[in-house]
Amino acid sequence: MHEFNWGLLIVVYLFLGGLSAGLFFAAGLANYLEVDGQPAYPRIARMGALLAPWPVALGSALLILDLGNWYRFYKLFTHFRWESPMSIGSWLLTLFTLIAFAYAFAWLPEEWRMKLFSKVPATWKQVHRLNVDLSAHRKTLAMIGFPFSIGVGIYTGVLLGAVSARPFWNTNLVAQMFLFSALSSGAAALLLAMVLDKRNPIETHETKFLITLDIVFISLELFIILPYLIHGQLSVLAVKQALWLILGGPYTVLFWVFFMGLGLLVPLAIEVYELAPSLLKGRTFHGSRNLALAASSLVLVGGFLLRYIFVYAGQLSSFHKMGMLH
Amino acid sequence: MDIRKRRYALVIDSRKCINCKACVVACKAENGVPTGNFRNWINADRQGEYPKLRIDFTPEQCHHCEHPSCVRVCPTGASWQRKDGIVLVYEDDCIGCRYCMLACPYDARYFHEESGTVHKCTLCNHRVDKGEVPACVETCPSKVRVFGDLEDPAGRLHELLATRRHIVKEPQTGNGPQLYYLL
Repeated sequence: MHEFNWGLLIVVYLFLGGLSAGLFFAAGLANYLEVDGQPAYPRIARMGALLAPWPVALGSALLILDLGNWYRFYKLFTHFRWESPMSIGSWLLTLFTLIAFAYAFAWLPEEWRMKLFSKVPATWKQVHRLNVDLSAHRKTLAMIGFPFSIGVGIYTGVLLGAVSARPFWNTNLVAQMFLFSALSSGAAALLLAMVLDKRNPIETHETKFLITLDIVFISLELFIILPYLIHGQLSVLAVKQALWLILGGPYTVLFWVFFMGLGLLVPLAIEVYELAPSLLKGRTFHGSRNLALAASSLVLVGGFLLRYIFVYAGQLSSFHKMGMLH
Repeated sequence: MDIRKRRYALVIDSRKCINCKACVVACKAENGVPTGNFRNWINADRQGEYPKLRIDFTPEQCHHCEHPSCVRVCPTGASWQRKDGIVLVYEDDCIGCRYCMLACPYDARYFHEESGTVHKCTLCNHRVDKGEVPACVETCPSKVRVFGDLEDPAGRLHELLATRRHIVKEPQTGNGPQLYYLL
């Protein structure tokens, strides 16, 4: 049987990279929204900014560990090959991570920043020069970061979509699918983090904002997944045979029950159930803590599973082996 | 110096193939291919039901494509193509990301555990550069494989491809494969 060249580390990386992109996007967006001239969601903006750089940093480390020669990873940056999605992606990922860290730094509370720099030896003057207050530049940093976060979200899909030898991946829909899944994961992760933060209990308007955002992203994701399935069925034989992997083949249950069901439709239903009364009937939004916990966790599971299914099933698809799989 | 343009390729008369796998063994011995990995192999496609059945043997390896997708996706340029068409991996630049293995429609590459890099058929470039033919071609007892230069109008490949019907595998991938199978 076919062996898998890309495994769990790649799945985790694709998930974490997308998660950071989503966190940055949601946090940056929250940073721009105002009510009566006052920031509308400052705590969401801060939480997202502080969380955003870490998943992608961890993911990039895993990516390097997955290489056959991890110590040669620097060669990714001594060559630039515009035809290779991985080459473009490496630069994109690095720049995004740097911007995300700078943005997190700009949101660091003054006392945390002082505490951090108090641990740096006083003789390291160059390092202490970095001890500056960037809070006035938050909006600029967010604006610079937006295209990079979108870029990273899309790139994780392009990495797979650009492989013409794998019909399961090679469609122009995978990139958007991964992007909207990433943005949805980011909004869900923020909701989860805010709900779990017991020292600063989440407020109703914050829950409402994040749930609304997630409903938008999940809906967009659905609008991509359905055409992906329908168009694939109407496509050439190789693509149709590749789709069999999730339409009767080994990944069918994982895709339909766990990803589409538990990871997408159930959280969407929960979120719509929460939002609908205030949206349609003008009632006050309450926002149950437990439902928010459930929906956000499920969205994250779904985001992970989407990448899992795509990485593994995609490697099984090809132009010449599919006949034998049936 | 000979500056004439060259384009090396293989023509495979698979009807002559008896599935003896001498080419596979010769390749392994010539190139030190590890156990469990192969740079070339023989597909056996069965058709029909007993007593009306047939089996086709088609030797396969890297197709040294005209537009190799493995070379395109390589992030460091370690996968590259010589002017004479031979697709190679420059090992010092290979980081072992295995993207090229996914990009190859023919699954012709393998991961070399020891070096942490990707290996593949080199069309025995070390032999070809000395004027010899690849090991698989030299060893084949039923003369299935013909190695040559497509740019040589007086060459054997020209003659075979001009006079015999032939196909390439999976041309729809757009890679422009250069293993020609005679019908």
